Amino acid sequence: MGGKVSCTLGEVKNRADFILYWGGNPAECHPRHFTKYTIMQKGKFLPEGRKGRTMVLVDIRETMSVKAADIFLQVRPGKDFEVVTALRALVKGNRVDTALVEETGLKLEQLQDLVDRMKRCKFGVIFFGMGMSMTRGKHMNSAALLTLAAEMNAFTKFVAMPMRGHGNVAGADMVLRWTTGYPFGVNLCRGFPRFNPGEFSTVDLLVRGDIDAAFVLGADPGATMPQPGIDTLARVPTIVLDPKVTHTSKLARVHITTSVTGISSPGTAYRMDEVPLPLRPVLKSPYPSDEEVVRRIIAAVEKKTAWLPLPATMASGVM
Amino acid sequence: MLRITGGKVYDPANGINGEVRDICIADGKVVANVEGGRTIDANGMIVFPGGVDIHTHVAGAALNFARALTPENQRVAAKFMRTKDTRMGIGGQTPTTFATGYLYAGMGYTTVVEAAVPVLSAKHTHEELRDTPIVDKACCLLMGNNELVMDLLELGEYEKAKHTVAWLISAAKTYGIKAVNPGGVAAWKFGKDAKQIHSPIDGYNKVNPGTIIANLAKIVDELGLPHPMHLHCNNLGVPGNVSTTLETMKLLEGNRAHMAHLQFHAYGGDDWHTMRSESVQLAEYFNTHPNLTCDAGAVLFGNAVTITADGPWQHLLYQLTGRKWGNLDVENETGCGIVPYTYKGSNLVNAVQWAVGLELLLLINDPWRIFLTTDHPNGACFWRYPEIIHLLMHADIRRERVRALPEAALSRIYLADLDREYTLYEIAIITSAGPARALGMKQKGHLGVGADADIAIYNQNPDGELMFRYPRYVLKGGEVAVEEGEIRSTKDGHEFVCQPSYDEKIEDYLKPVFQQQYTMSFENYPVEAERVHGMQIAECSYKKPN
Ligand SMILES: [Zn+2]
Repeated sequence: MGGKVSCTLGEVKNRADFILYWGGNPAECHPRHFTKYTIMQKGKFLPEGRKGRTMVLVDIRETMSVKAADIFLQVRPGKDFEVVTALRALVKGNRVDTALVEETGLKLEQLQDLVDRMKRCKFGVIFFGMGMSMTRGKHMNSAALLTLAAEMNAFTKFVAMPMRGHGNVAGADMVLRWTTGYPFGVNLCRGFPRFNPGEFSTVDLLVRGDIDAAFVLGADPGATMPQPGIDTLARVPTIVLDPKVTHTSKLARVHITTSVTGISSPGTAYRMDEVPLPLRPVLKSPYPSDEEVVRRIIAAVEKKTAWLPLPATMASGVM
Repeated sequence: MLRITGGKVYDPANGINGEVRDICIADGKVVANVEGGRTIDANGMIVFPGGVDIHTHVAGAALNFARALTPENQRVAAKFMRTKDTRMGIGGQTPTTFATGYLYAGMGYTTVVEAAVPVLSAKHTHEELRDTPIVDKACCLLMGNNELVMDLLELGEYEKAKHTVAWLISAAKTYGIKAVNPGGVAAWKFGKDAKQIHSPIDGYNKVNPGTIIANLAKIVDELGLPHPMHLHCNNLGVPGNVSTTLETMKLLEGNRAHMAHLQFHAYGGDDWHTMRSESVQLAEYFNTHPNLTCDAGAVLFGNAVTITADGPWQHLLYQLTGRKWGNLDVENETGCGIVPYTYKGSNLVNAVQWAVGLELLLLINDPWRIFLTTDHPNGACFWRYPEIIHLLMHADIRRERVRALPEAALSRIYLADLDREYTLYEIAIITSAGPARALGMKQKGHLGVGADADIAIYNQNPDGELMFRYPRYVLKGGEVAVEEGEIRSTKDGHEFVCQPSYDEKIEDYLKPVFQQQYTMSFENYPVEAERVHGMQIAECSYKKPN
């Protein structure tokens, strides 16, 4: 089995002499990534910076990031899983069928060369983007890639990390984990946390229309959800907290304008490597912060009579 | 105001051994007398100072990583329902923060020490501790693989290293420091380990694990920190590691040290097939060296999640078990590894581990120097402590359990030969009075006038497990937090931190090094005081006796 073998970004900066980006376009989507954390940085053990590092890019098409790469491997769309599986076999020294590899758009020699480089490096890292985890195969692709990184540790140091985006998604993930035990897709309707991605994830609930109110904070589902989900948001009372007008705020029943966290109100953001950063306001805003609005809503709700008629204890299941 | 009357009081710090006497409480403290207020009739009950867990993993990046990695554990774990007074949550191997507070308090524990905090993610740890209700908290900062400190030791700059350590403790708002596999985790950053105490660490010429251990122990004592260096030795879990542990202890003569989860460091044999208990040899040395304290790190059969900063060990465990593996290396400071694990009574290695934990608790003759822990959730979950207490109190039950082990295990362990049975007085020491003293928390672990009114009251019962699993009342800071198995008050506890003094010029040295080696700005690195909920600064007043 795999798991997740990772590190904070400073380790990449200080040590990574082999950097593989898979299914992402950091040059455009994470514009500071190359310069701040990875290929362009001089590190404690890489005083020569860019020259000391090999960068490989795997993607289905040529993007702006290709220019930054030493090696570009163009995979046929939907064939990521097959490529990773072939790599895992080659890493273990197993025979791989040439014809099967060619279906992916790559040649066996290219993969063997990649594996040789991976084994030769002192510290390898794989960053994988949405192109990998959101296409055919979905979480199976990420799982295979994470397993590849884990297995590489039998030969040399290797880590892997998803390229996450969307503001403070890592922060939301962290808080959900320590309060509910699960990172996302959590349902609290029974008074305790249940987890089932595919059933309780936001997109599933919205598409099925299983909700009768929506509270949207730091996201714009009206821009990204499938149409049936958007229809649900328009049908039910939707409340949006956002500094600006968004697709979601336009279809919401209530839009409360809040100050921008990190510019006008303080807070904490978690980096994609799950390192917390304090946010300090630099400007004043006439609007309240998200936190203040949420607190006031909680205070108002608490004035209502409790709806849970349960005794003060409850333990079910097995310890 | 409150009076507890009629209970048998076990207050070892004040030499009180089961005497029936009243305990009076006002303003959160134990006082000599009160007039009026509530009276708790504790007839037929025993009264203990609230439990103190000196080494546990309940909050922060590593534990939160483990939660995400093991949703299958959460699914079968105890559920905590939202009520008027309590938040929802999940128990199990890696409880959610609110559940952690309820579970500890529900067992009579009122102070817990989160044992492994990196500076880089200390903000996160404090956020989780803020969401851990009822209990008081403190944490240890991971220091045995901090490259800033190691680089200074390589240059022979002891004083600068000392000021750096003090600065880092102040920046992270922790109570003490912990060294985990000193040098080994730093070496793991390039896939290596540090197995020999006296061989240079990969990437260094002079610094070896021994250098780090000896210098950190000295630094902690010179800074006057109330708690000694907390040490997780090299070669954790490996057959034959007792020699490393003994060598390490010898380095510590002349300084204080707390040996964490000693069970995992007390094995003989050459490989997994010949692994055996070396508890007798280790206890013999330990018994004659009063500079040391330790916690058991006992193992119980069943599911666990191993979580440690010891990255190379976790890689080995991943290869041995073929189960999931989580790893998170933290730039310049430390690492962390997570592997779910099941201890099986039928497995020879696990049988030895189970026996060793109990053997150390029975063979180390001074209960003031060994404390009850399971290195939660590594050896077992903290909420299983009552099972261990029961075994400590009954030699016959231990022998019965030994008989169920594989035949091959019997010649490798000593447990069946040990007749010692813990008294209630001794249980109060290893669960409360002892750890409080080792932590230098003068207001904890006792019931004398002036102590924090953290008190656990149990129905006296010959079944130690039943007795200690379900306290009749638990008071935290003088308030009834638990009564008849229900959470009654969830007032937040304090967090204790130390702010050892350092030469402010150390920042001039640290800043440029930091800009080079880290990926956040120096100004964003320290934890802001506002982030630490209920912060209480403890004095750094330890003085080495001449
Ligand atoms: Zn531990």
